[in-house]
Amino acid sequence: MGAIWVIAETNADGSLARSAAEAATLARSLAAASGREARGLVVSVDPGRAGGELAAYLGRVVTVTEPGAADHAWAVIAAERAAGLLGDDPSAIVLLSASPDGRDLAGTLSALTPLGVLANATAVTWDGRVAVEMSTFGGKLTTTSGFTGDGGIITLRPNAVTAEPAAARGVVEAAAAGAAPALPRVTIAERVAEASAALPIEEARVIVSGGRGVGGPEGFDLVGELAALLGGAVGASRAAVDAGWIPYARQIGQTGKIVKPQLYLALGISGAIQHKVGMQTAETIIAVNRDPDAPIAAFADLLVVGDLFEVVPAVVRALQERPG
Amino acid sequence: MQIVVLTKPVPDPAAAAERLGLDGRLDRAASPAVVNGNDEYALEAALKIVDALGGEVTLLTMAASGAADTMRKALAMGATRGILVSDEALAGSCIRSTTQVLAAALGGLTFDLVLAGVDTSDGVAGVVPAGIAALLRIPYLGNAARIEPDPASGRVRVRRITPTGYDLLDAPMPALVVCTQVLGEPRYPSLKGIMGARSKEIATRSLADLGLDPSTVGGAVASTAVLDSRRPPARGATRVVRGTPDEGAAEIVALLEARRII
Amino acid sequence: MSTGTATDRLTEEQRLLQATLRELADAKIAPRAAEIDRTSEFPDDIRRLLAEHDVLALPFPVEHGGVGGDLLTVCLAIEQIARACATSSLILIVQALGALPLLLGGSPEQKARWFPRLASGEILAAFALTEPEAGSDASAIRTRAVRDGDDYVITGTKRFITHGSVAGLVSVFAVTDPEAPRHRRLSCFAVEVPAEGFRVARLEHKLGIRGSPTAELEFTGVRVPAANRIGAEGDGFALAMGTFDRSRPGVAAQAVGIAQGALEAATAYAKERKQFGQRIGDFQMVAAMLADMDAGTEAARQLLYTACERIEAGVPDAARWSAMCKLVAGDTAMRVTTDAVQVLGGYGYINEFPVERMMRDAKITQIYEGTQQVQRLVIARALLGRASD
Repeated sequence: MGAIWVIAETNADGSLARSAAEAATLARSLAAASGREARGLVVSVDPGRAGGELAAYLGRVVTVTEPGAADHAWAVIAAERAAGLLGDDPSAIVLLSASPDGRDLAGTLSALTPLGVLANATAVTWDGRVAVEMSTFGGKLTTTSGFTGDGGIITLRPNAVTAEPAAARGVVEAAAAGAAPALPRVTIAERVAEASAALPIEEARVIVSGGRGVGGPEGFDLVGELAALLGGAVGASRAAVDAGWIPYARQIGQTGKIVKPQLYLALGISGAIQHKVGMQTAETIIAVNRDPDAPIAAFADLLVVGDLFEVVPAVVRALQERPG
Repeated sequence: MQIVVLTKPVPDPAAAAERLGLDGRLDRAASPAVVNGNDEYALEAALKIVDALGGEVTLLTMAASGAADTMRKALAMGATRGILVSDEALAGSCIRSTTQVLAAALGGLTFDLVLAGVDTSDGVAGVVPAGIAALLRIPYLGNAARIEPDPASGRVRVRRITPTGYDLLDAPMPALVVCTQVLGEPRYPSLKGIMGARSKEIATRSLADLGLDPSTVGGAVASTAVLDSRRPPARGATRVVRGTPDEGAAEIVALLEARRII
Repeated sequence: MSTGTATDRLTEEQRLLQATLRELADAKIAPRAAEIDRTSEFPDDIRRLLAEHDVLALPFPVEHGGVGGDLLTVCLAIEQIARACATSSLILIVQALGALPLLLGGSPEQKARWFPRLASGEILAAFALTEPEAGSDASAIRTRAVRDGDDYVITGTKRFITHGSVAGLVSVFAVTDPEAPRHRRLSCFAVEVPAEGFRVARLEHKLGIRGSPTAELEFTGVRVPAANRIGAEGDGFALAMGTFDRSRPGVAAQAVGIAQGALEAATAYAKERKQFGQRIGDFQMVAAMLADMDAGTEAARQLLYTACERIEAGVPDAARWSAMCKLVAGDTAMRVTTDAVQVLGGYGYINEFPVERMMRDAKITQIYEGTQQVQRLVIARALLGRASD
């Protein structure tokens, strides 16, 4: 039977992305249950560091040095290299992050191999075959799906699995790049940083989001302060993004990101359907809003009715005064 | 500029009437359908480009035959024509089949750009456009916040959103670009557009028209299957707290402690 | 809950138009409604919005830059806008009303001259029939149009003219032959304003539709080329009656829209507001009111749609249909909005909620375009025939 592969994403500094560590942890547990082998693949300009880090999670890691990844879009390159290694094996199982790169990789890889795709897994188990749990219809339904064959590609939501290193380190082997690329490679003419390197919001365990009630870009300083105290990321509703107070990359909702953090703290957000579908599966939802009848009152765990500019500083104080 | 926009009819999220059929797949007939919201951003981007550079926008949809109705609004917004790929065999198609069918349909068209939405509100997978680009062997540019085609040079520049800012991508056309909300709000169809939509062509294509063998694509050979579905556990009742900011803050901290978040 | 769509009798285009305007009204017009009422300022931004979306082009023929919408289509548009803001819906209602004499009796040259700018919304139209002493009794009109060479000279006063102060083209009804039988005394003129001798003498402060300027217009020797006369001398009365057959459904549509808006506001409130431990919508007295409001609004709507279809088809009793739909819709709107205020109780009485405005707005639909009493006369005459002289 084909192996269970993790195709790892790397951070800008060459280190292993957390999503890969999570996927690798899952791969190991699926391998143990299924009797298959779990393997990792790192494709990048300099895969050594990430390969070494991934070996802490998997018994066997393959690295492919791909100079083209320096200034070409990564996902298509990585997919092609992975397809080269997987060949036509319809029984391989491939775990990817449901990040933008992961999705691009999943789609491309599916086109290059006989493998289908199950997307946005929140849990994956083995009962003779993979069983993939997904949240659908904006969180209204949870489905469990499987592949009709023996293999397939699964994109995994951030935080669906907690990364846990293996008992023993695995081996890293470099593989040749393989055949000349057939898929067109897209040039990255320039990479522009607009904010300090921030955790992709889908990966955050805690998200503190601001909405219309925040009133302006300065209000997001307060949102950020609370987020930082809780070790979380700053999110936003569509209203705040449209008003230009915060970049689109932070937007949660139907036309933004869908997130499933441990804690979602909604400040000055009404909770209308477009936003709700982006966050309603969060484990804990706390809202601060002046309007006790805001839609978010229907599905939050806790609604504090009040002015967020008074409540949030009080929360900050209370957190800072806690012992330890 | 010849632009093809991929559009998918999805259950209207506002109607909230989605449910699964007996086969565990979405019962599309049960819910009013609209064009997927994210696809409207792709359509708007296409219309802006042809407004500026001239050309035509063609809609491409793979769906049941009734989908022609949902395509009307997109035609009313300004698309020139629609192509609907419809075949009984395609009911219950998985992502892989959808990708193959759409790629086959595009294979028969001439275009400079294919634009697609980031994902669909029903499946939310976001993987089909990348697969189509791979099958067609054309450049794939994702997460676009800005699209600048240059017909003179035959290249397109795209600003792709990244977690830290953006990348400037450059590729030759024909290319496939995935469009984000940042490209701009979809226009309301003008009333002239609405009245004129009926006279715009929606051509239908079956699998036979595309030269596809029904034994290789469609519901019968789906690569995935729904095994089970259930409602998520109901959230508990909402605790509503009024009082002083300090009281509210204390409640928040207490809940964070109870849930072991801090 | 009724979304006011009644879709099976509508064409695809009409359904799409309805959905588009509903969205547009919710997104862009509803947020302005309270402010328009509070400031009593003509919402020129809404005029531009409607013009940009081809809404003002709806009543005009395609060959002159219009959309060529039939009567039902125009009414569908009015209904959706009125749901959000009655004042805003008047912009379309009066654009159609003011242009109807031209639509019905204008020469090809006159249509080509004015329709493009009316369709684009560049100029607004107004309909000037009513005078201080001539309301329900149109035969009491005193404004005179005297032939002088190639012109007519118009002198007189018109009262309660909607958009009289913002229009660029006013359809003015004036007596051209005081000796003729009653229904041949009047002629209709397309008067481009501003003009020498034309003055807006006053603007009224009204109970409702406060953002709509209602003007008294003074004509002191206003010269109008004979080429601006619509139809022949003496055609004025017939043009006015023909206009009402098509404009009264517009007011009915406004009334249905207002009622729908009030119904939706009251229903939403009844779902949210809790007293005695339950939402008030679950109390039978409140539920019954809402049920009657819904049934009444739907009945008025269906009658309106039927009337539009009949009038568009050219039935001989168009006047009866037009009067019936306006009569029923106007009374329904008044009843539904009054009940909506009642459902909201104290909150219905304050301007933080829209229903008190809707109630004030609804009242005019029982008065203008022919009072409810005049509508009854029209219907009765259709039933009974004329009194034998």
